Amino acid sequence: MSAHAEESVSVWHLRWLRLKRDRAALAGAGLLALLLMASESAPIYEAWQGVSGVDADLLSRFDPATAQHWLGSDDAGRDVFARLLRGGQTSLTIGIMGALGASIVGTLIGSISGYFRGRVDMVLMRFTDFMIALPQLPILIILAALDLTKLGFSSEFIRSGSAGYWRIVVIVTLLGWTGVARLVRASTLALAEREFVLAARAQGAPAWWVLGIHIVPNAITPVIVATTIAMGRVILAESGLSFLGVGIQPPATSWGSMLSNAQELITSAPMLAIWPGLLILVSVVAINFLGDGLQAAFDPRSDPR
Amino acid sequence: MTRFLLSRAAGAFVVLMAKSFVIFALIGLMPGDPVDLLMNANPDATPEDIAHLRQLYGVDTPIFERYWHWLTAAVHGDFGFSRLQHRPVWDIVIPALGNTIVLTATAFTIATVIAITLGTIAALKRGTWIERAIGLLAYTGISIPAFWLGLMLIYLFAVILGWLPAGGMPRPEEGIRGIFSHLALPVLTLVIVEIGAPTRYARAAMLEVLGQDYIRTARAKGLSSRRLILKHALRNAMIPVVTIIALGMGNLFSGALLTETIFAWRGMGRLILEAIMGNDYNLALVCLLFTTAAILLANILADVAYTKLDPRIGLGGRRK
Amino acid sequence: MSPILQAENLSVRFPAGREGWFGPKREVQAVSNVDLSLFAGETLALVGESGSGKTTFARALLGLVGHSGGTMRFDGADIAAMNRTARQAMRRTVQMVFQDPFGSLDPRLTVASIIAEPLRIHNIGSAATRRERVRALLVQVGLPPDAASRYPHQFSGGQRQRIAIARALAPAPRIIIADEPLSALDVSIQSQILNLMAELRDRAGLSYLLISHDLAAVHHLADRVAAMYLGRVVEVAPRDALFDTPAHPYTRALLDAVPRIGAGKRVPGGALQGDIPSPLAPPPGCAFHPRCPRASSVCAVEAPVLRVLAGAHQAACHHPLEIAA
Repeated sequence: MSAHAEESVSVWHLRWLRLKRDRAALAGAGLLALLLMASESAPIYEAWQGVSGVDADLLSRFDPATAQHWLGSDDAGRDVFARLLRGGQTSLTIGIMGALGASIVGTLIGSISGYFRGRVDMVLMRFTDFMIALPQLPILIILAALDLTKLGFSSEFIRSGSAGYWRIVVIVTLLGWTGVARLVRASTLALAEREFVLAARAQGAPAWWVLGIHIVPNAITPVIVATTIAMGRVILAESGLSFLGVGIQPPATSWGSMLSNAQELITSAPMLAIWPGLLILVSVVAINFLGDGLQAAFDPRSDPR
Repeated sequence: MTRFLLSRAAGAFVVLMAKSFVIFALIGLMPGDPVDLLMNANPDATPEDIAHLRQLYGVDTPIFERYWHWLTAAVHGDFGFSRLQHRPVWDIVIPALGNTIVLTATAFTIATVIAITLGTIAALKRGTWIERAIGLLAYTGISIPAFWLGLMLIYLFAVILGWLPAGGMPRPEEGIRGIFSHLALPVLTLVIVEIGAPTRYARAAMLEVLGQDYIRTARAKGLSSRRLILKHALRNAMIPVVTIIALGMGNLFSGALLTETIFAWRGMGRLILEAIMGNDYNLALVCLLFTTAAILLANILADVAYTKLDPRIGLGGRRK
Repeated sequence: MSPILQAENLSVRFPAGREGWFGPKREVQAVSNVDLSLFAGETLALVGESGSGKTTFARALLGLVGHSGGTMRFDGADIAAMNRTARQAMRRTVQMVFQDPFGSLDPRLTVASIIAEPLRIHNIGSAATRRERVRALLVQVGLPPDAASRYPHQFSGGQRQRIAIARALAPAPRIIIADEPLSALDVSIQSQILNLMAELRDRAGLSYLLISHDLAAVHHLADRVAAMYLGRVVEVAPRDALFDTPAHPYTRALLDAVPRIGAGKRVPGGALQGDIPSPLAPPPGCAFHPRCPRASSVCAVEAPVLRVLAGAHQAACHHPLEIAA
């Protein structure tokens, strides 16, 4: 093999090396992993401490921080720490699911529109233009307040706990895919002219083959960055909706719905408002650090050599 | 110029029509029966009117027909009645729009000035702790939930320190002082939330301009760096920044909605939320349309500003 | 002998947008009424300046661009009338090697996946037999078998072109269409690839459609040569006839630009002047007449058709140069 071949390492390895040097990105990733693991272990903490983040205990309302209630208890006597963990479960997984949903839909639509062009493409682009400059939060509120029975869903389903959760994920997906679609479409238009795509097409490879094997894997880099950054925005959107009372409904809880509850108690129990907001802030900062780090690591111009 | 504005306005009008239809359709899917709610809203409605409107608005009527009826009325200046406030929607929307403009325009101006200043400083002090501190501030702004920030500011300035009111509108007898004290916290909230992205753009734009040849030439010619920055670099760097800020009007409005809710500021954001939560269809519809129109207008203004400020860009929107 | 791949009166047009907003729709005639046949075992070279429609013609043969007129036949059967099975069988048989060895290999796939892709698309063999075939192909094109597990960026340009050739050979084709297979390579590597192509042809009985503006390579590899100008075939002849006594002034000019090939005597001053005209507005009559030293009044009015001058030597010219009979 030539010297050229021996020196080179795979693209992903190079990216990993660059990311490893980015302390902010690593810290963000670590913090995020920690938050996720902690919130997933909420039941373990509850069982161990003999407390509950869900069941009201009117005998221990507004308890101060003790060995049993690490961060005290709230207005219904629920353990604040356990509740924060449960809220984190909701907020973080909605962030992940919503960002993934938007990216998957965006990748599908963007690659299809870029590959087939023509009328499909025109409709998509007009629609994307349409979505931009829409007042996002009011539309989110309307979507969150829609009467789903008018769309043919059963009322049992709507009253079930998971409906609120999935409703938010679907709404965020519906409003969030356009950005990714534009990114992927632009990459697809460029990739469709590349000779390795022509080579596959000359074999008579079907469209799903060309898209799935050659185009999407080569267009995925900006999508990873966009997904990461979108996760932060989804968490903020969910917390805003839950804060306004149209997001996660009790008995389920998220950091946003905890804040909604704490708003009226700001003078008497300020810590109830401080903790969930701080966790939202910390997670979103961590996500943005990671997103920026990935962006820099994936950008070939940032190659130090 | 006129031709450019006309074509942009025509495009925006088409988009506005499309959006009004989508919003109309979405609101029809909200809880409750729009016909009943509409009837209750109008105190002057006679039984004949009700029968007439039922026929026009009836659930069996296709949505296009209902929309068309609403649209023709709206074009004639009849935006209908608010169900909650039993007043014509128009009389409610105008004062709220005024309040929102006061709040967002103040916040927008302050945020733009601060963002450009911080971005420029960060670019000039590249690699120092100052740049990192500004970066962290920008990150916090992007990442902080607006409503939580408002809550914390209320706790600090109204509850603990007692310096400023926790919310609400200024009363006439409080005079100028009252206006400032009531505006202070909501504006501060919006500024912090909105400052992040434009600061980062300003920094990037400034770095790019500073690296360009003509700046180096000017430096070599002996222009002092302070004059240089103010005269050459700043102006060229700020064109994209101003555009990006103006394009972010939709975002600013989302922030304003949450801020107004927290601080009980009687603006459009709060009105929209109340209208949606109270099933006040007509009010929600008109508010949303006003908002959408305002965002579209801001986008057109951003385009115009962009073309005006940068001589290299023709009004066709393409680089020459 | 009947041809295995044949284009009859083939035309390809591309939309080129409108003139202004409401002007007429414009079109580029990239390939105009081309008649060409490729016979089993032969190497047909297509020469001409860039913009002459060579690449578009090849891509039309592969179905990568749609044609707007004419017929393509494979083993005598009309390709347009084929069902899916027959068309896939044809695609197996006609493979392509592209110009840019850095663009024609998917950077995210291993060499094994790249070479095996035609086999997987055409559902040939099991995973194990495909693995064996990849190793055999690598050896055949002069690469070590352990190259299979590596990625394209770990290879040099010449090695990558070998990989591209191995991919084209994978489904055991009868025809390989090679579009400027050498032009992206270093000169020292070019002859290696050229020799490899000659060796493979002789061993496997392949037919090549070689697209190139490198006349030395064409002289080395081709049996017959066709010259194209602005989408039209202006001359077709056996290699030696075309190199020694070109009949068309355009072919002559192409050859004069590279003086050492062929045995024919050369008249100085015959080199091409000016640029190739815009295909949006091709000149009337013979498209070459504005640049032709032999043009007369008839050339500006009447388009010449391809006609037989002697034996297999054909040219489309009102005033052909004298050829050896």
